[in-house]
Amino acid sequence: MRIGRPTLKLQKRVYLSGWRAASISILAILVALLLFSLIFLLAGINPLTAYEEIFSYAFDNPFGLPITLNRFVFLLLCTCAFILPYKAGLWNIGMTGQFYIGSLAVYGVLLGLGFRGSEPVNIAPGFVILLMVAASMVSGALYGAIAGFFKGKLNTNEIVVTMMLNFIAFWLVSYMIKEGGPFMNPGGRGESFEMAASLRPPTFFNVPFTIFLALGFAFLLYFLLKRTKLGYQIRAFGLNPTAAEYAGVNHVSIPVLVFLLGGALAGLAGYHYFAAVPGVFKIARNYAFFGDLAFYGIICGLISQGNPLASIPVAFLFGGMSVGGRYVQGKLGMSFGVDFALMGVLMITLVAFQFFYRYRVVFSNPQKENPDARILD
Amino acid sequence: MQQEQTNNGGRSRANQTRKGMLTNLQRGETLLEARGITKRFPGVTANDAIDFSIRAGEIHAVLGENGAGKTTLMKILFGQYQPDEGQIFIAGQPVDFKSPLDAIELGIGMVHQHRKLIPAHTVIENIILGHPNAGAVLNLSRAEDEVNRLCEKYDFSLDLRAKVWQLSEGEKQLVEILKALYRGAEILIMDEPSSALTPVETEKLLDSIQAMAESDLAIVPFITHKLPIVLRISDRVTVLRRGKVVSCIDTRDATEKSLAKEMVGREVLFRVERTKIERGAPILEVENLSVRSDKGFIAVDQLSFSIHEGEILGVAGISGNGQRELVEALAGLRKIEGGKITLEGQDITYANALHRWQAGVGYIPADRIAMGSIGDFNLVENTAMNYYFDEAFSKRGILDFKQIRELTTELVEEYDVATPGVDVKARTLSGGNLQKLILARVLSRKPRLVIVDLPTQGLDVGATEFVRNKLVEAKQGRASVLLISEDLDEIMSLSDWVAPIYEGRFMGKLPADSTPREVVGAMMAGIELDKQGAAT
Repeated sequence: MRIGRPTLKLQKRVYLSGWRAASISILAILVALLLFSLIFLLAGINPLTAYEEIFSYAFDNPFGLPITLNRFVFLLLCTCAFILPYKAGLWNIGMTGQFYIGSLAVYGVLLGLGFRGSEPVNIAPGFVILLMVAASMVSGALYGAIAGFFKGKLNTNEIVVTMMLNFIAFWLVSYMIKEGGPFMNPGGRGESFEMAASLRPPTFFNVPFTIFLALGFAFLLYFLLKRTKLGYQIRAFGLNPTAAEYAGVNHVSIPVLVFLLGGALAGLAGYHYFAAVPGVFKIARNYAFFGDLAFYGIICGLISQGNPLASIPVAFLFGGMSVGGRYVQGKLGMSFGVDFALMGVLMITLVAFQFFYRYRVVFSNPQKENPDARILD
Repeated sequence: MQQEQTNNGGRSRANQTRKGMLTNLQRGETLLEARGITKRFPGVTANDAIDFSIRAGEIHAVLGENGAGKTTLMKILFGQYQPDEGQIFIAGQPVDFKSPLDAIELGIGMVHQHRKLIPAHTVIENIILGHPNAGAVLNLSRAEDEVNRLCEKYDFSLDLRAKVWQLSEGEKQLVEILKALYRGAEILIMDEPSSALTPVETEKLLDSIQAMAESDLAIVPFITHKLPIVLRISDRVTVLRRGKVVSCIDTRDATEKSLAKEMVGREVLFRVERTKIERGAPILEVENLSVRSDKGFIAVDQLSFSIHEGEILGVAGISGNGQRELVEALAGLRKIEGGKITLEGQDITYANALHRWQAGVGYIPADRIAMGSIGDFNLVENTAMNYYFDEAFSKRGILDFKQIRELTTELVEEYDVATPGVDVKARTLSGGNLQKLILARVLSRKPRLVIVDLPTQGLDVGATEFVRNKLVEAKQGRASVLLISEDLDEIMSLSDWVAPIYEGRFMGKLPADSTPREVVGAMMAGIELDKQGAAT
């Protein structure tokens, strides 16, 4: 790039500090919001008012904040489910399916124990909750492992397999909860039966305990990747499978393992949203909305560059925007889809700004003998 | 905007007037001159005030170790990089290359070391790819006639309708040369021209280069370590060291020793001291080993041999005779078809790669980048490749990175790996330094069996000497070494025993000190020992 005499040059970065990465991301968010203002302007709405509404509802409102937090937990689990295979060089596009299967397993447990509808529960509720959590994780894990197994054994494309598994899971849920299905709601509203009130889990400010699980798993995942033998093998396999195999890393067990663990986390998201978030307690009619939201795990995972800790604020932001966007759409009478449009613009801008993770802009004056360059970061 | 367009128009007009200017030049006139070329990268000055010139009909070799700045200079001459300071002149006119397209337009051609060809396409299709006259509808027969004329002129023989994947390395290189010539190159930059070629192909290539120079083309081969080639073909040689030109002399005034000294900055010994160790117990025993290649053919055919303690067995052969399959089978990376492998009496035929590392096998692969290292890992993490499974470096599944870091620092020191620190990524290391790191990592485990595949391929003289000495040291440490090499000098100077390999079989196992080179050379080509005797 050359503009007149003094030149703007791109220089490759040798090193990127965490703070620099964070400040680049914040700049990207501001630019995204600036870009999205155009949409508000086109709709004849003052962008400042709109953003005030969005942010205050999503992050500073007794109704909005719990929804944001619940979405955040959901997104964080899906993000971690994406990150682990991603670190092994594999793409988990199947969080949606693993989430569906996890949800089904939860209601399968209830049905199996005979707790259909609001019948009284005669087993310790804590034990049943534990069972539901375990079932969601195990089933998600096994469903995820299908893709990992085929990848490791037959080298099939894990993206295609997980995508197809998503469709299977989607229709399976539909079969189970709609009229005539084993989980159908007696009222026949195209949703599953409701979980007994006594099985509602403990909440903190309207947010279930799963928030601690999700945060704990994010930290655990970070530690696993950074410090453990297994994490080292996963990272080696992800960066150079041939070299990893040379060093004795098993090319079958690593794909299976990362999809097992990833699937478990996405499965847990099923328990979280359909059996723990206050006010839901059933597989909702609009379950596909959450299935679509699960794809944002990919976005959050890529934006945080596979770092589980960095994905915490990212998932929080996207959770908030999905809530605030939907709210402002109704409040200001805008047309359908503001929430996903807002997340889309955010995503594109954040990804585009990752360019500056690798390059920096150097402003230099060629007339000087020694170009003592001023650096615009 | 308006102004920029006029500028662009002006520039391309200027280039057009210059386009023909190289063709009218007479033999001996300066075609290209680079003055004071400086290129800095973060933390390093890759090229420091380099002066370089090339005349019509001249072969001007650029010689330098890995990391001396050859690649940077090459990329600047070809327009891939823009120099921070300095100027390039073509026929006396200053020029700025914005991209390789500018360089190509002015008559500079590039022959890459790693071939940039499309294997599934034919030779002629590859040659016209991206050619401005190719047109929307291909006129292959016209192009074929023109390329055939070029082939006749320089005495190349090549089937233009063959698919590129069917060609040998030497033929592929010819395609690259033809591609550049067909685009009108007057100056041909060649990156490591003979690195992937067999001796016979190298001879052919050198003849072709000389034929081209006689037709007034200027040729600039960039060479890392093959000094005899420099001496044989070039008219002048420029030696680079640490980004600077240390000398630019007529080749007739140079010797192998003097060039090596200029390159490395000190005297280099070309021979490694052979040491005899008392023959110990057998370490590796292989019985009737058969292995298939990727394509399913038998690549290693019922091979039986053993290597004793303190012994180097050199497997000499032209690549593709089963060497790769043999080492991968021994390292546990390839399924074996039949036979038995024993290490110190322990049957490891069905042990996986990890178990073999733990049992005392140390494997140094030929491909340092694709297999031997992980480019995005730093040096500590790369060292961990051979230590992560070691009980001493982990506790309950948690790696002790502090200890691995200490080990890496020690190894970097001991093996003289040139690096700013252990936190840099492995991809920033030059080939020689990367090989030293891999060697350090593997040999520090004190393996009982060392398998080394092409240990000095692509390395400069200094690093080559170092690597060879380390292998001898391992032998003195009573390890047994299986050395695979295409370099007969390397095999003959390092090994105790030589086993020429041909089509998956050893042609014999001969004592290295009493077998003439020519005999081994003939056996590599598949001629059996007794038949050689009959012929002479």
